[in-house]
Amino acid sequence: MRRRIRFSVIYQVILLLLMYIPICVVVIYSFNESRNSTIWTGWSLDWYRKLMKNRSLLEALKNSVILATISSGAAGIIGTLGAVGMARIGWRSKGVVEYISSIPIMIPEIILGMVFMAFFAMLNLPFGMVTLVLGHTTFCVPYVYMMVKASLVGIDRSLGEAAKDLGASERRAFFDITLPLILPAVFSGMLLAFAMSLDDVVISIFVTGAKTNTLPIRIYTQLKSGVTPEINALCTLMLAVTFLLVGMSRLLGGIRKKYPQ
Amino acid sequence: MRKTKGFFAVLMAMALVVVSLSGCKGSGGESEKKEKGDPGELNIYTWAEYVPQDVIDRFESETGIRVNYTNFEANEEMLAKLETSEGGEYDIIIASDYIIKIAAEEGLVKELDKEKIPNFKNIDPVFQNFFYDPENKLTVPYGPGIPLLVYDPSVVTCEITGYDSLWDASLKDNLALMDSERVVMGMTLKTMGESFNTEDLDVIRAAGNKLMELAPNVRVLSQNQTQDYLLSGEVSAAFLFTSQVVLALSQNPELEVVYPKEGLGFGVDAAFIPSKAPNSDNAHAFLNFILDGEMGAQIAQQTYYLCPNQASYEFLDEEFKKSLIISTDDVPNGEFIQDVGPEATSLHEEFWTEFKAALD
Repeated sequence: MRRRIRFSVIYQVILLLLMYIPICVVVIYSFNESRNSTIWTGWSLDWYRKLMKNRSLLEALKNSVILATISSGAAGIIGTLGAVGMARIGWRSKGVVEYISSIPIMIPEIILGMVFMAFFAMLNLPFGMVTLVLGHTTFCVPYVYMMVKASLVGIDRSLGEAAKDLGASERRAFFDITLPLILPAVFSGMLLAFAMSLDDVVISIFVTGAKTNTLPIRIYTQLKSGVTPEINALCTLMLAVTFLLVGMSRLLGGIRKKYPQ
Repeated sequence: MRKTKGFFAVLMAMALVVVSLSGCKGSGGESEKKEKGDPGELNIYTWAEYVPQDVIDRFESETGIRVNYTNFEANEEMLAKLETSEGGEYDIIIASDYIIKIAAEEGLVKELDKEKIPNFKNIDPVFQNFFYDPENKLTVPYGPGIPLLVYDPSVVTCEITGYDSLWDASLKDNLALMDSERVVMGMTLKTMGESFNTEDLDVIRAAGNKLMELAPNVRVLSQNQTQDYLLSGEVSAAFLFTSQVVLALSQNPELEVVYPKEGLGFGVDAAFIPSKAPNSDNAHAFLNFILDGEMGAQIAQQTYYLCPNQASYEFLDEEFKKSLIISTDDVPNGEFIQDVGPEATSLHEEFWTEFKAALD
């Protein structure tokens, strides 16, 4: 019994190391004096200073965050409604509809990107934030949908029915009973959608316009001119913010548990 | 009854959304009404950081024009977007030679109004009359480059004088090449005295077989940051693009550069104005701006590509004079990689795939 536990601990540690060592290297090299990301020459905060002055990088970051927020928000609403709706419908074509709704993440991104580009051009939409949001929301919805659907399976239908028995309207039943129960799944879906949107390069390149640059495009296309440790500095800051947010939410969650209202 | 009512309601709502979105073009389109005296905008489309930020800042402060700088990664992406917008949306595009030729053939490139670009005369004639713009009416050279051989003399024992030296057995598992099919096959063709662009299938086959013999020597195949492998010592010799050569030399001045005796390959990134550019006057002003002597030097020293601007040579820092100015004897020897027709292209691809598979 003891031996088995020890092995699983070792396995976990190795796995975590494999996942996090590259990230640690990125963080450490953001403090590297040399421009070269493979040789260490000394400690320096220069890259952080340069990052703060790099207007185009910061603007791309701003665009990406706005885009990811709007997309994951819209996807959250659409995905949740879709999952809740699908749970009650017993159509024969239900399976097909579900399959179609998960197509955006199964199709290769490049095809999706080109299709969006052609479609938006046909509609004469101005390429820019509008088209970016449309494109991103589309591939974000399946993530939320799948998460909420899975969560709904675990919820007792009789709870909603009981609410209606007691006189609640359809809408009241949803907002007061169902939604709070599936809220964790909605949030995880939205968080995943946020990460996917922030990360997306291919679709963004195809549907962006002349005035909107997103962060992944900016970083990826910098490879030709040479990536500088400013990118490492940016990644470190983003990681710091992420850890801060996660830490804060756990703290708040812990406080809520202690003092239930 | 209730079901169909709901269904139609949804359908109408969707139609409403689509229609209202397509009406967006009028209000949010590129051709916004400019106030009198407003210098307007400039949409630049090229690789990130390719146009240095201080150049853009100076342009903005001198002209008051607002610059929007967006990026693409591959030339083919740029072409796809240009085709979709039918030559509109962007004002200045900087891309590679072969793609400009294709864009020009599709009618997506605007002819330059030289009267708006008085500094055009500053261009070094060595960088003009290239295959994609034989009459110099369409482009301004921005980043010309020559892939060169760089090696660490303290580690390499054999003498490197040209491409053929790379096949030497002493370089086993010690070579870095760029992950570029035509460039590497081209280099092999040169060692056989052939042109990069031969369409003779037997010659290409012979080159493919010769390339397979190089496989044991190659340790790394990389498109970007290839110079890092040389600098860290993982390889002792490398075939690098110009910007990588300059970066490598600046960080390790001990490295030696070789101009291969068999002949040079040439590549030029050039700036052009799309046929329906919304801010064409501003675009011309920008081209004139970067062709100024001092600006040209500032650009070349930050992009690490050769400087095509004659008026800039006097402004270059000493350390760059050697690497960024090319002598006129080298250029006639240089050859561009051009399209070679479908059969030759697929033969190239076949051998390249085999070569890459043999590397592991």
